[in-house]
Amino acid sequence: MTQAGRVTLRGINKRFGSFTALKNVDLDIKPEEFFALLGPSGSGKTTTLRMIAGLETPDEGVIEIAGKDVTFAPPGDRDIAMVFQNYALYPHMTVRENIAFPLKMEKVPAKEIEPRVVDAAKKVDIDHLLHRRPGQLSGGQQQRCALARAIVRQPKLFLLDEPLSNLDAQLRLQTRVELKKLQRSLNVTAIYVTHDQEEAMTLADRMAVFFNGEIMQIGTPDEVFNRPDSIAVAAFIGSPPMNLLPAQLDGSQLKVEGRTIELDRKPTATPMAVTMGIRPSHIRIDADGIPARLYLSENMGESVLLNLYIGEHLVKVRANENVSLDDGDIVPITFDVNAIHLFDAQTGIRIEN
Amino acid sequence: MHQSERRFAMAITMPALLVLLLTTTFPLGYLIWSSFQTLNLAMPFLDGFAGFSNYVEMWGDSRYWHAMQLTGIYTVSSVTLQVVIGLGLALLVMQIPRAQWVFRIVAILPIVLAPVVVGLFWRTLMLAPNFGMVDFLVQWLGFEQINWLGEPIPALISVIAIHTWQWTPFAFLVFLASLASLPGDVFEAARIDKANAFQRFWHLTLPLIRPAIIIVIIMRAMISLAAFAAIFAATGGGPGTATEILNLYAFKTSFVELNFGYGSALAVSLLIITMAVSAMLFRLRTARTVKPQ
Ligand SMILES: Nc1ncnc2c1ncn2[C@@H]1O[C@H](COP(=O)(O)OP(=O)(O)OP(=O)(O)O)[C@@H](O)[C@H]1O
Ligand SMILES: [Mg+2]
Repeated sequence: MTQAGRVTLRGINKRFGSFTALKNVDLDIKPEEFFALLGPSGSGKTTTLRMIAGLETPDEGVIEIAGKDVTFAPPGDRDIAMVFQNYALYPHMTVRENIAFPLKMEKVPAKEIEPRVVDAAKKVDIDHLLHRRPGQLSGGQQQRCALARAIVRQPKLFLLDEPLSNLDAQLRLQTRVELKKLQRSLNVTAIYVTHDQEEAMTLADRMAVFFNGEIMQIGTPDEVFNRPDSIAVAAFIGSPPMNLLPAQLDGSQLKVEGRTIELDRKPTATPMAVTMGIRPSHIRIDADGIPARLYLSENMGESVLLNLYIGEHLVKVRANENVSLDDGDIVPITFDVNAIHLFDAQTGIRIEN
Repeated sequence: MHQSERRFAMAITMPALLVLLLTTTFPLGYLIWSSFQTLNLAMPFLDGFAGFSNYVEMWGDSRYWHAMQLTGIYTVSSVTLQVVIGLGLALLVMQIPRAQWVFRIVAILPIVLAPVVVGLFWRTLMLAPNFGMVDFLVQWLGFEQINWLGEPIPALISVIAIHTWQWTPFAFLVFLASLASLPGDVFEAARIDKANAFQRFWHLTLPLIRPAIIIVIIMRAMISLAAFAAIFAATGGGPGTATEILNLYAFKTSFVELNFGYGSALAVSLLIITMAVSAMLFRLRTARTVKPQ
């Protein structure tokens, strides 16, 4: 397979003064993949992206683009395009001049520039705004202008740092779809930083979940959602994320909140303290269930999110909208046995069958 | 505004307005008035209304045109030098990651000195023959001794250098502040777009700090046109009239030759030139921002 668009990070460490921003980051991003870097604020996503762009150099580790070591290569030598969170358009240039700039810097002949600019602008639907300056554009139009500037040079690797975060909710949804379409049609690799898991889930072929400068899990959205590697990932992914309850595991028997649940598997031979995880949609109201007290019910439109307390543990349950309950009511609940995730209470690591 | 409020506002601004009127408008009016008079303390018996005769005399006065030419050379070269050196220094200091404040403080020193002090300082310590530092340096480098303030061309170069020395720090500070406020991600975007350092300077830095450059040019040109004290202290306009810019000529005519009428006319002409130049520069400032496409 061709190497163009492949990005490899090996053992990347990055410190700012005494603060370690990235710890031993390994990534292997395949050509034409849409890869998301997901994680909470300050977890090191932007730092990772800037390192790939060459705007930051790692303290340790190797970065390869298209099979070439570029760890210390300047950004211009990496043949990449980047869309910044604030777009970073050249404020004194028109949209046309903005899009033409990378071509001008590459010394593309003048008569080739105009058709390529128009072509790029058409792809993102701003060809009618070429004479305007960034200050005269709406946020969405600026974002498109930044995209056009990125695609005009036709590099194989696109870096995007929260490119949708300054758009309103509706435009964000719409642009998200177009972004994915665009990436598909251009056959390019895209590395996409976001703290919005829904964005990562819908856009990405694969993603890396960052916490405190470390990658906690790499996988497809499906894998990350359905088989979180650790408590940290489990507590982050999903909206709301899965419920986590302390439990005792002994053979195939799981003791939680005074009840014993018979599992369909037998993960360990020896008894151990675990954390049980279960998504809000995998809990049902059932007369034989564990009694829980309703604290608050939130109407989510298509469903109702019940905030229940079992003892002192908050459990969120997604219920059918037609349940009519009052705050303070006792609601008996049961867990879908085959949807239970188990994590080692000490290490936080997922326990497989 | 309410009636009483307006009266109160009048009351508190009146003193300031009066002072302003007395110190600026009145002298200006008097200057213009006297430029239309024959007003010569050496020949008081000729005093009286003169119409445009002072201005007509100016037209045929070669010393006036010489002073005008010097003013032009002095202003254009000192402003150019201030902008180029000031911007160069600012760009250099921006590269220094730490202790930029040291440069800021050092830069302020020449600015806070009175121009007279600067003129005397250069005349005695730097340029004086035999024991001035510049003189010493020039000879040490193996060049012939130059009488910096005693020969026409070196004297002109010297007064330009003195002015540049004193006021480049102003340009430097303005440019430093302007550079520091440039958006960092725009320059990062340019690096990714494969622009090299010179291209980033040419296509981004220069156009983005253009307002600062023009403001510096306007302010410095106005001051250069009206420069006086430093030249007066360093050369007194000499040797001969080699450094006699318009302002100095007007001063000498009025207060040495005591020909107030003609001196006033000279001053009015300088005033008109200064206003014309700044009006032109201000046009330049707004021209680009509304450039039609
Ligand atoms: N230049 C810098 N100097 C010092 N610390 C920095 C620098 N850049 C980033 N950091 C720190 O490194 C950590 C990771 O920052 P980074 O910008 O990568 O976070 P992020 O995951 O992109 O967060 P966000 O979602 O808020 O953008 C943060 O704690 C941040 O404070
Ligand atoms: Mg970030």
